[in-house]
Amino acid sequence: MRHVLEGSHAVSEAVRLARTQVISAYPITPQTHIVEQLSEYCANGTLDARFLRVESEHSALAALIGAASSGVRTFTATSSQGLALMHELLHWASGARLPIVMAQVNRAMAPGWNIWADQTDSLAQRDTGWVQFYCENGQEVLDTTIQAFRLAEWVNLPVMVNLDAFFLSHTYEPVDVPDQKSVDSFLPPYKPRFQLDLANPCAFNQLAPPNIYMEMRHNIQMAMDEAFTFFEQMEEEFDTILGRRHGSVEAIRCDDAEVILITSGTVTSTSRQVVANLREKGEKVGLLKIKLFRPFPVNLLRELTKPASKIAVIDRNFSFGASGIFAQEVKAALCNFPGHPPVYGYVAGLGGRDITTEVIEDIYWLTKNSTAPENESSWVGLREVDHAVGQS
Amino acid sequence: MQLDNLNREHMCSGHVGCPGCGAALAMRFLLKALGNKTIMIIPACCWSIIAGPYPQSTLKIPVLHSAFETGGAVASGVRAAHDIKGDTETTVVTWAGDGGTFDIGFQALSGAVERNENFIYVCYDNEAYMNTGVQRSSSTPYGAWTTTTPGQHWKRLRKKNIVEALVAHRIPYAATASIAFPEDLMRKAKKAKDMAGSRFIHIFSSCPTGWGMPSEMSVKIARMAVQTTIFPLYEVEDGLRYTINYTPKGYLVNEYFRLQGRFKHLTEEDLNSIQEMVDEDWNLLLRKAGVALETS
Amino acid sequence: MAAQQTPTNRTPLLIPCSYLTTEGNKTGSWRFLRPRYEEKTSPCSAACPAGEDIGRVEMLTAQGSFKEAWETVMMENPFPGVCGRVCYHPCEQQCNRREFDEPVAIHSLERFLADTASRYELQLSLQKLESKKQKIAVVGSGPSGLAAGYFLTLLGYQADIFEALPEPGGVLRWGIPLYRLPLSILNREIAQIRELGVQIHCGKSILQEFWRGGKSEYDAIFLGCGHSRSLPLKISGEDLAGVKDGLQFLADIRRGEVSALDGTAAVIGGGNTAVDTARSAARFGAKVILIYRRRRQDMPAFAEEVEMALEEGVELWELQTPVNIAAQDGDFVVTLQHTHVIGKDGQRKARVKPDSNKKKEIRVQHLFKAIGAEAGETWHDPPKKTRGMLGLSNCVLLHKSREPTLVYGGDLVADIKSVAHAVASGKQAAIALDILFHEGLDAVRPRLQSCLVAEGPSISWETYIGGPRSLRNQRVVRYSDLNTDYFQFAPMMIQPRLLPEERFQSFAEINLKIGASLAIREAERCFNCGLCNQCDNCHLFCPEIAVTRDNNPRGRHINYDYCKGCGLCVVECPRNAMILEEELLCDTS
Repeated sequence: MRHVLEGSHAVSEAVRLARTQVISAYPITPQTHIVEQLSEYCANGTLDARFLRVESEHSALAALIGAASSGVRTFTATSSQGLALMHELLHWASGARLPIVMAQVNRAMAPGWNIWADQTDSLAQRDTGWVQFYCENGQEVLDTTIQAFRLAEWVNLPVMVNLDAFFLSHTYEPVDVPDQKSVDSFLPPYKPRFQLDLANPCAFNQLAPPNIYMEMRHNIQMAMDEAFTFFEQMEEEFDTILGRRHGSVEAIRCDDAEVILITSGTVTSTSRQVVANLREKGEKVGLLKIKLFRPFPVNLLRELTKPASKIAVIDRNFSFGASGIFAQEVKAALCNFPGHPPVYGYVAGLGGRDITTEVIEDIYWLTKNSTAPENESSWVGLREVDHAVGQS
Repeated sequence: MQLDNLNREHMCSGHVGCPGCGAALAMRFLLKALGNKTIMIIPACCWSIIAGPYPQSTLKIPVLHSAFETGGAVASGVRAAHDIKGDTETTVVTWAGDGGTFDIGFQALSGAVERNENFIYVCYDNEAYMNTGVQRSSSTPYGAWTTTTPGQHWKRLRKKNIVEALVAHRIPYAATASIAFPEDLMRKAKKAKDMAGSRFIHIFSSCPTGWGMPSEMSVKIARMAVQTTIFPLYEVEDGLRYTINYTPKGYLVNEYFRLQGRFKHLTEEDLNSIQEMVDEDWNLLLRKAGVALETS
Repeated sequence: MAAQQTPTNRTPLLIPCSYLTTEGNKTGSWRFLRPRYEEKTSPCSAACPAGEDIGRVEMLTAQGSFKEAWETVMMENPFPGVCGRVCYHPCEQQCNRREFDEPVAIHSLERFLADTASRYELQLSLQKLESKKQKIAVVGSGPSGLAAGYFLTLLGYQADIFEALPEPGGVLRWGIPLYRLPLSILNREIAQIRELGVQIHCGKSILQEFWRGGKSEYDAIFLGCGHSRSLPLKISGEDLAGVKDGLQFLADIRRGEVSALDGTAAVIGGGNTAVDTARSAARFGAKVILIYRRRRQDMPAFAEEVEMALEEGVELWELQTPVNIAAQDGDFVVTLQHTHVIGKDGQRKARVKPDSNKKKEIRVQHLFKAIGAEAGETWHDPPKKTRGMLGLSNCVLLHKSREPTLVYGGDLVADIKSVAHAVASGKQAAIALDILFHEGLDAVRPRLQSCLVAEGPSISWETYIGGPRSLRNQRVVRYSDLNTDYFQFAPMMIQPRLLPEERFQSFAEINLKIGASLAIREAERCFNCGLCNQCDNCHLFCPEIAVTRDNNPRGRHINYDYCKGCGLCVVECPRNAMILEEELLCDTS
């Protein structure tokens, strides 16, 4: 049934429908609406779950590690500083192969304090072994969150569902909220492959010496490979039951594009408009949306960017000393692919600065009119500032 | 010694604790009292190693090894999960060293206790970060050498009183225990097991390796710590009612310190001021026990 | 699109999760010191002249195993009922517990065990060894003779005891008053010895001719005749009519030939016989003065006896010695010379010298002398050093080629005259003869050496026949060897007694019996020094869980596969029943 929901509540509805059993979270703007709603659901019995009001994000994930190890379905939500605080345990959750689902609201990293949209927080955690999705709109948020549980429980990896601060988390959109029965038929109760069990006592996560650690790590990568294929199979099922799918990537008018824009998150929505406009003016432009970031859809990327002569990646994030992260990943995916188009990296919208249609159009024209990328990432729309320290 | 559960062991031989390890004894006694309907969370500490490397485990109960500072939080999650599955009987225990309790793990412990999570937290205290090579912790006593308080920079700060810190949370049950008093330890563990809410047991676990004494002195030194009131045996219920379990008869601290290499640099004067501190703390405890009697 | 993923083609999970215990780690390889159970010797058993295994006796008593405890005593001493009443209990003076609070009341407990055996008519189940052909004659049925007969019979020999008097017992029957040793006790313990197969022939005096010249049917003779002749005072007037001999007086009482004594009685002497004489005389109504030439603390009599004598109204005059006795109107006038202390002798007793011209006279109605005794016949005394003679600690052996071997024992050779020493003497003689018969004279001393309880002269029967005690280390456990953390203060039991005013009204036994619960409580005070009493501290305090119980109730054993040699078991053993020794490099056990 369609409701007008803000992105946060799309998450909480999904978590409710997924019959999550233990929720543990620490509040941080702009994730608060997610957990507040869930807290109320737990309190009024709408959701039969335990809600642990822990004293920090680190403890939130720690608690879920304990709960997931006990064989129940678990969920948390956080953002920027909170995610960074969890960092140690992000590694732990994947290393322990626990199917924890997290909604992660992409917010800028401090200092200075900035609560607005920026993807650096989750991308800085790309090595921690979590499956990562970047959502464009409320519907996708809800669908992906439900799917996250299914995927996580299949491959035994934790899954992070990312949504832009405020642009998505606090924006109201019409969202179809499926009925419980449909969700139940898609997402059966969690059947753990291992758990703390009095009948079969063993120790988990103990010392793993050099002679075995590498095999365990390899096993994680194998799960990532499996996540990729299972995602497609899962979307097929989802489509059958609920009549929609989003794809690990989405190609919009790429078949005959000369310049392909690559985006993620809410920027994609704006980009769709820009592409439509430019096409009307006869520009051969396409748009590739990356939704699944880990595992990185290398083959799909290679396939879908084949037609283009130039690729422009828009990053609302940055890896200092290198470049925008999506740009890096795209370059890495393509570099062994002979004859691949050059990749132009653009950094825009950090700390919640608006990426308007103008900005995107500028990026298109810049790309189209350049012969080669000048640097790894070009910073778009930097303003003149005074009052820098040391400035005369 | 009359113990009717002498035959039940929930731990195997072949673990890799040092000879004379007090922590191994502490675990053995605890499990005898708790039984095997227990799930144990072990954050990083000596026992992370003692328990044996993959694919071994020395404990005959389910164990979840966890990150250093997460003892209180992981237990909260395990408890919540079991409760939601309908199992409210299984005992959830965190077994942590002093590092993971007093210092890096204090936040999670305090948080869990403040929420009155239904679990038992047991800290086996060897008074330093032993697993990483004898560095000081806030539970290292006044006067001790450690690798981070070497030479004349021996620790001139008192041991943090973790029990009192938790008593301030109005924890339902907090107690001290010692490997030299196994029946007392087991009684307290059993008592804790039958209670609800957060319960904390602080076990004095000698470390011959880190304290510079022969391995055979482990139990004796633990007994002396109690007899000199350096480590008194007492319980506190609901943060209000104190019960002192053992009132010793005026043993001076000197011999306790003289037997351990980690204290060998202390002079007569140092020992005298330490005796004063110990007496002061003991009197404070007596007052608390007395004051509580008046108001309850 | 890739192949459909199903539960069966899912990649298996490789996670850090255990599937083995640590029992595969044989941590015993870490060890460089090895603990071991080794029982050692308790100081009480070393101090007991008869070498009783006291630590074990108290352990068994504490466990309620009274029969086993009694038999453990009987293995070293057939007279627990007697000794439990009249022994001077040197054991209690060496008891380690006395450094903790007070010694264990070993003396009272020994009596309790004998009384219990008597009350329940327990039968001794000690096995006699296989019969031997040799026959031994025992002269005198005092404690040394009876003990010799007892142990010889246990060894498989035929022992015949010859007693001059009409009833057996020697000094036990004739020299110890009933208020110390009731006859029923003595009779029962002698009957026990008879039941074993010892023949006692009363009314048979033995002379030297018994074995001299010609064939004797006996292969050896044990001489336990004791000292039957009182020592003279060597002053004028001592042979006056009416001057009685203390030992004779006690025998007369036993025969019922003494009636009331009016007036004052003086007893000269400071040993047990003197005190017994004094207390007996008091019971017959006399006002008694005990006159001793040294101080009270120098008296050879047992301190308790002196104490009780004083409580019973006996007056003690120290530092006085008689120099003349005169008769006057049916009374005796005794001239006493004062003495004073001029130094100490080897045993810290005073040496005295007459105080010149300080004299006084007393007038008494009865006079008894009891300053000691000596052998009744000259041939009772062992010869001076001669060929074939072996001077052992408690007896003297004289081996001659064509005559029976003579063994002089009991008071004839003893430095300290006590029942326990007499028993030790008889035991040593029996074992010495057994060695002599089987291995020759040269083997006697070394073989006896191997049965020593500790360094001292006491030997153990059980060790000689190879019982469990023979495995024990002879090192004596001292107080500093114990871990007293496990003991609580508990005062020594108070031996119940007749009230002082009840005592001297009759010859009824002064010490009263105790019940089983008091006995057990007192026996539990015993530290069991050097012995394992299954307290299980070793089992409890092993961090490796490497100490387990044997099926044998006496034992624990160590699993050396896992023992790291930390030594906690050894230190936490309250009674030092373990040792820690270096691990042998090539040890394969």
